[in-house]
Amino acid sequence: MKVLKRVYMALILILLYAPIATLIVLSFNSSRSRAKWGGFTLTWYRALFQNEDIMNAFYTTLMIALIAALLATLIGTLAAVGIQSMRQRTRTIFMGVTNIPMLNSEIVMGVSLMLLFIIGRIELGFGTILIAHITFNIPYVILSVMPKLRQTERSVYEAALDLGATPFYAFRKTILSDIMPGIVSGFFLAFTMSLDDFVVTYFTKGPGVDTLSTKIYSEVRKGIKPEIYSLSTLLFLMIFLLLIAVNMASVKESKKEIEKNAAHLAKYGRKRIFTRRFVFGRVLPGVLCAALAVGWFSSRTGKTFAAQNQVVVYNWGEYIDPDVIDIFEEETGIRVIYEEFETNEIMYPKIKSGAVAYDCVCPSDYMIQKMIDNDLLAKLDWDKIPNIKNIGDMYMKTSEQFDPGNLYSVPYCWGTIGILYNKKMVSEPVDSWKILWDSRYKDSILMQDSVRDAFAVALKYLGYSANSTNIQELTEAQQLLMTQKPLVQAYVVDQVRDKMIGNEAALGVIYSGEAIYTQKENPDLEYVVPKEGSNVWIDSWVVPKNAKHKENAEKFLNFLCRPDIALKNFEYITYSTPNEAARELIEDPAIRNSQIAFPDESVLERCETYSYLGSDVEEIYNRLWNGVKSS
Amino acid sequence: MKNKRKWLAAPYGVWAAGFIIIPLLMIVYYAFTSQESGQFTLSNFSSVFTATTMKALGLALVLAVLSTLICLVLAYPLAMILAGAQVTSSAFIVLIFVLPMWMNFLLRTFAWQTLLENNGVINSILQMLGLPALHLINTPAAIVFGMVYNFLPFMILPIYNVLIKIDRDVIEAARDLGAGAWMTFRRITLPLSVSGIISGVTMVFVPSLTTFVISDLLGGGKILLIGNLIEQEFKQLNDWNVGSAMSMILMVFIVISMMVSSKYDRDGEGALF
Repeated sequence: MKVLKRVYMALILILLYAPIATLIVLSFNSSRSRAKWGGFTLTWYRALFQNEDIMNAFYTTLMIALIAALLATLIGTLAAVGIQSMRQRTRTIFMGVTNIPMLNSEIVMGVSLMLLFIIGRIELGFGTILIAHITFNIPYVILSVMPKLRQTERSVYEAALDLGATPFYAFRKTILSDIMPGIVSGFFLAFTMSLDDFVVTYFTKGPGVDTLSTKIYSEVRKGIKPEIYSLSTLLFLMIFLLLIAVNMASVKESKKEIEKNAAHLAKYGRKRIFTRRFVFGRVLPGVLCAALAVGWFSSRTGKTFAAQNQVVVYNWGEYIDPDVIDIFEEETGIRVIYEEFETNEIMYPKIKSGAVAYDCVCPSDYMIQKMIDNDLLAKLDWDKIPNIKNIGDMYMKTSEQFDPGNLYSVPYCWGTIGILYNKKMVSEPVDSWKILWDSRYKDSILMQDSVRDAFAVALKYLGYSANSTNIQELTEAQQLLMTQKPLVQAYVVDQVRDKMIGNEAALGVIYSGEAIYTQKENPDLEYVVPKEGSNVWIDSWVVPKNAKHKENAEKFLNFLCRPDIALKNFEYITYSTPNEAARELIEDPAIRNSQIAFPDESVLERCETYSYLGSDVEEIYNRLWNGVKSS
Repeated sequence: MKNKRKWLAAPYGVWAAGFIIIPLLMIVYYAFTSQESGQFTLSNFSSVFTATTMKALGLALVLAVLSTLICLVLAYPLAMILAGAQVTSSAFIVLIFVLPMWMNFLLRTFAWQTLLENNGVINSILQMLGLPALHLINTPAAIVFGMVYNFLPFMILPIYNVLIKIDRDVIEAARDLGAGAWMTFRRITLPLSVSGIISGVTMVFVPSLTTFVISDLLGGGKILLIGNLIEQEFKQLNDWNVGSAMSMILMVFIVISMMVSSKYDRDGEGALF
């Protein structure tokens, strides 16, 4: 029986620790791939401490957790004392309300607070995250203080009063010291809840503010960087040591508590004081020092800027060379607050709601049309953007399809959608979308998790327009996508790149700009625009109407159009540049004349630009796409 | 004196009204008004009662029930073992079991991606042993796996907390009166631990039902749960009204589980701490 128990415990422990062990092992793996062991390295630890984004997110997380836990402890403790002295009915109401955040789902809470902040015109950012965290923290404090309060003996307090203590003094000396363990454990509970929270933060955060959780989420969706592994290893170690320390201090107390008898609690007062001293004397200052040290560290590495001199940029993931931002900041002294989105559809509601004032956004053609239709964009002052002359005429002309008169947008990148395939896994020639429906490649196909791109593939395969508004054609396309679903390994966006490089799939639908990069990393990959035709797109910079720093935005756009900068950017992101002057500067003729980056007329003739189809048709697309995904 | 002290709860009262009650009322308001005109309407709910949404809700319910049951089956024996352990070591052992809970939730889930993948750790081990590879990632099974893993400590703790409070004399009395181990468990231990089970069940069921992160990371975008749909409505489709209507449907289930848990757990005995 004893052996059985041991085995059972061991099995559960393996289950619980397997993923953590995996993360730790991977943090020392010199190969970027998760599947291969490439030898021992400490590179990722060094990289972690040099990664400003992650360190900043770490600091923000600690600050929010600390401030939220402290304020929640204060409000919560007062509330618990107050509730305790209420009459039965009011107490029931208060406790009922207190239970809501505990039992309500995080998503409903996050969404409801987001609604409140947006409608109350409270700008999403550090402050809103803090408010949200305090809100879900308070109940934990109340619920850990209440039981201790119930155990306090009123007679002791009254005795103190009889002996001449003032009410406040008596309260401090009797009740407060009795409930202290509850307050401390409430604080720690709140602190850890807030450290670990993702969902509520995700809905209430603003641009440029990231906690570790939200940072990790966006990294994971993009394809994870190995720095994250080293970060998790360090975090685990820290938590492990902290908990062991706290546990050592409270072991004795909890032992007593098991045998306890509420009436005898007072006797063990000395033990509790010991715990308290330990927690306040060692652990808490430790946490504080760590937070401040990291803060000092990150403020030292961060550059100093005038508070308001900034530009808030909202761009696709991995869509700019980070050095370009640094150079811009250095040259102009304007601070760039940078945030990324995954698809046009994710970007749009943020601009539309106006909850966040972005200065520069980089949507695609059809989305720009939609934003113009909805009066969300500001007209650009071309005198401030003289470098626009570097953009090829043909791109400005194409832009008129969605931006008549070239009033709102600065072309940034363009390209096609096609199939990226692995020559080692696919032996036959690939020239048609048809191969994405070939059951031999079951579980080796990656589709774009973006409604227009997914439908474009199916519509083009069927011989229809990628801008079809015909319900019958669309339903047919939906049916086709549904039959494809069992063959699809996953619907992803930015992850196609890493998965194809890592040989995790044979075929993937991808943007042409990713093709050059993936080929560099994995020479077995080949990109093709299928013969049935595809989509050709332009992503252009626009300035939303509610931008707070329009002049800085125009400076930023003008800077991006400078040939040397556009070239630097092109070399990093490998998406085709419409900047003719920059293209001439490309040294390698193979890339300058690459059919993938700069396809010739015959390819472009088969391709179509998306146009905005109106909100009704858009809704049909979304409904059909949801139908596919949930089928 | 007593009457004055209750005003200490006033700051919390204001806070709770502003950031708990009003936001929830806003969801109700949005659920019953139309996006265009702001007039009262039930049309948002008609968008909720469509095949897609109902399917996502149904799947979420099935997966949540499954993961709750698995958690219960795994956690109960473990809680019993832990509760029966030597008093001196029990606190430490419990700590070891809840420690992973303090690791970032996304990192833990993400790690399972690495383990379950087609060329992931589990399949590499199977390959080494000469066994056929399993297709695990991006299936409903992977999502249940992720739920069980993430929420298991929420089941262990409440049950453990109730079990250690059971008076050993009661159990001994039952044994003295001739009850076997099974009989003692069924008639004494189990009924006395109901409050822990109930609070464990709600603590696992609600987050499983409403998650969108686990299905997102382990489902490869192929499996939509109700949480994913709500997230989409707010973050991509910008239809707060339909999103609110969906949230309200979800709240119905949450309220049911709240009522069940408060019925059985009146004194908060089976709490997490």
